[in-house]
Amino acid sequence: MKKYLGKRILLSILSLIIVVGTVMLLVFTVINRNVIFQMDDTWNKKSNNDRIYYEYTMYSKYGYLDFTDYSNFLKNKYEPLYGSEYTKNADYKADKAAIQDENTYLENASVQEFIAQNEEKGFKATYVAPARAKSGKVKTGGNAYLLAVHEKSVFTRLWDYFTHLITLETTRDVTDPALTERYIRLEKDPYSGFYALVGSGTTHKYLLYVDGRFPFIHQNFLHLNIGTSYTRYRGQEITDVIHRPVGDQVKLKSQYPAKLGTDEYTETAIDFHSLTYNYNPRTASEEKQFPDQYTNYSYNYGGLSMIENSFVMGLIATLIAYLLGLPLGILMSRYKDGLFDKLGNAYIIFIMAVPPLAYIFLFASAGTSLLHLPYKFANAQVKITAYVLPIISMALPSIGGLMKWMRRYMIDQMNSDYVKFARAEGLSEREIYRKHISPNAMIYLVHGIPANILGCLVGAIVTERVYSVPGVGNLLTTALAGHDNGIIVACTLFYTTLSLISVILGDLLLAKKDPRISLTTSKGGGR
Amino acid sequence: MSENIKTVQNDFDFIDINSIQAEKITAPRYSYWASVFRVFFKKKINILLILLFVLLIACSFIIPAIIPYNSYENVTDAKTYNLTPGAAMEYFGGGFNLKWILGTGGQGNSIFAGIWASARTSLLLAVICAAINMTVGIVVGAIWGYSKRLDQILLMLYNTIANVPYILLISVLVYIIGSGFWSFVFALTVTGWLSIAYFFRTQVMIIRDREYSLASRCLGTPINRMISKNMLPFLTSVIVTFLATELPSYISMEVFLSYIGIGLSAEVPSLGKMIQEAQGVFMNYWWEFWPPVIIAAAITIILYVLGQNLADATDPRTHM
Repeated sequence: MKKYLGKRILLSILSLIIVVGTVMLLVFTVINRNVIFQMDDTWNKKSNNDRIYYEYTMYSKYGYLDFTDYSNFLKNKYEPLYGSEYTKNADYKADKAAIQDENTYLENASVQEFIAQNEEKGFKATYVAPARAKSGKVKTGGNAYLLAVHEKSVFTRLWDYFTHLITLETTRDVTDPALTERYIRLEKDPYSGFYALVGSGTTHKYLLYVDGRFPFIHQNFLHLNIGTSYTRYRGQEITDVIHRPVGDQVKLKSQYPAKLGTDEYTETAIDFHSLTYNYNPRTASEEKQFPDQYTNYSYNYGGLSMIENSFVMGLIATLIAYLLGLPLGILMSRYKDGLFDKLGNAYIIFIMAVPPLAYIFLFASAGTSLLHLPYKFANAQVKITAYVLPIISMALPSIGGLMKWMRRYMIDQMNSDYVKFARAEGLSEREIYRKHISPNAMIYLVHGIPANILGCLVGAIVTERVYSVPGVGNLLTTALAGHDNGIIVACTLFYTTLSLISVILGDLLLAKKDPRISLTTSKGGGR
Repeated sequence: MSENIKTVQNDFDFIDINSIQAEKITAPRYSYWASVFRVFFKKKINILLILLFVLLIACSFIIPAIIPYNSYENVTDAKTYNLTPGAAMEYFGGGFNLKWILGTGGQGNSIFAGIWASARTSLLLAVICAAINMTVGIVVGAIWGYSKRLDQILLMLYNTIANVPYILLISVLVYIIGSGFWSFVFALTVTGWLSIAYFFRTQVMIIRDREYSLASRCLGTPINRMISKNMLPFLTSVIVTFLATELPSYISMEVFLSYIGIGLSAEVPSLGKMIQEAQGVFMNYWWEFWPPVIIAAAITIILYVLGQNLADATDPRTHM
């Protein structure tokens, strides 16, 4: 069994890599890469060569290419020679100005050195000639640039992506030579009053801590880096996007780390557990607030995060669907061809045949006009009521599906020999249905349970869009519309992983529920 | 007494034994397709549904030819935006006017002409996609089920692709190859056949190993006869059942993709896009939102119910 499971997991990982690789290959080669600037304000404000330079910095940020800049090269060349005042040096100034003349720049020794040095590394020298008006004057933002560019292949990207997927924080993470103490130790956490693992030399200060937010124990050791958003959440990490609560900032009475022990309290939304290392020297005000270089922070937000919103709603809807769908399916099979069965069948046909969009809007308009429930999530006066309609809209179709299959499998089982035998033994109909047919019919439905529960993490695309729920359901669709390649790849990874896990879990659950099914042997019914 | 017997004997003629006639089985004449249609039309609802469906097809092919749909025809005249049916007919000359019977949309476009032009797109899309996917799926599935060497390769392919959520696959494909009518067809068919082929592989495998197939193979039946006489009759009802769910699913898929903003391009009228355009204002301008929804639902429900009933009728067990 273990061997079988290992093989399954290995195959799943392989197929995950193939899928993510294919999507990457398509997204990064077929799609024109400059579509990511379509809605970029910074790009719009820049003009001429500055815009080209900005494009290169963004491409490099999003992993399309690596590049080094000529001015960076000059800095590295002159700084060791003349110290921090190197910009005032005449040689430096001459070298820097050399590239501004498109006819003579190649005669400069530094430029030649730069090109030779980079071509050795496999970088291609790219000269962006100054943009001149007809008079010969350089236009705004038209200064020349000299770059050395190395295009990354999709395979390098794929390799980088999977090797940086999970990172572990160690005390060697901070490369600042100014940092002398490096440790991870258990300390009393002044913010929770409990103990916490505190690191120095790690990116985060608090590595394992307790606070009042679900799931109460938090860690910063392991980071899942599934990618960076390009256009929609400009440069934010996607795990942060789906994990950060979507409500307003919550201000609490708290103390800065340097003020601990004094009676100086501040009303602030800063989450002091989120402190990360800052390489820049502390400013005067930061000196007063923080005892060390861990001065970067994020804020406390109220409400649920995107993924929590989707998961809570999906889970409730799934529970309702199973609690109602299965008994209704059993009842339909029990009174087959009766009125209840006919009504149920009509409902099933409605759910199966009508486009989901149509009935979700039907539920929306019925719920708002008859029950006076809030329609748009953001407009809800009482937040909890906003969940009602989306949950109903998600549960009703699932109920239909479960009813359909439960009824089908129950009817298939009803003519089995074991049922006839049970009847011959004189068991009551109620007992036959409850103890004999239902458990056997359930075998077929057990396989889908993990998929349904894990599927809640993906969110519901149409429902969330109709009710404007701040959930993860539309992460992919909005990314597609906004050319956010980072999110597209991340979603591919996320969705495919979930679906692979749920298939394996479903198989295991099936084998557990039905001892006749063996996953390991290929004999006996295996086709 | 004996004379009587003699006269009776004289009334009869002896006839020879006909060995050819003796081999004939005197069962009632049975024609498969005649029985299918007899069972199918016994349900009166099917006749009604067929009439409705013919009406829908006629409308969606004739009306766009008579009243051409152009969503930008009144775009310069802001007064025509979002007019109720009454106001629209009033504005465009007064009196009864079929074109404006459902009012105008957000750009002064005719809703009535729009829904029929869109319905035509949806129907064409569904029929083309279903035809391609079903043909490729059944042919590949049949070969897949028969050839054990191909099985390994195709199973690997299937396991890789089937694990990817369908929505993800379609939407990423549409995003990559663009959103014209034919690229849409391509996105829906490039992997769509695979699940159908997988389903028919299993079906073919089941029949392949049945005793009667084994017997005919032993008797030396050629493979084309095996397919046409042993397998196809068994598969007919399965194929129709599949078709009944496939056809409406493409319409739903188009509606869904257009709704989330990656559907067909702006030049192609489609039900999904009409719904998407009107969904923001569906509380106020109901006449823009409900007609495309109702048409989409009507097409899918009719196709689904007709398909299910036809599938029931093609099952020989219902013929007795």
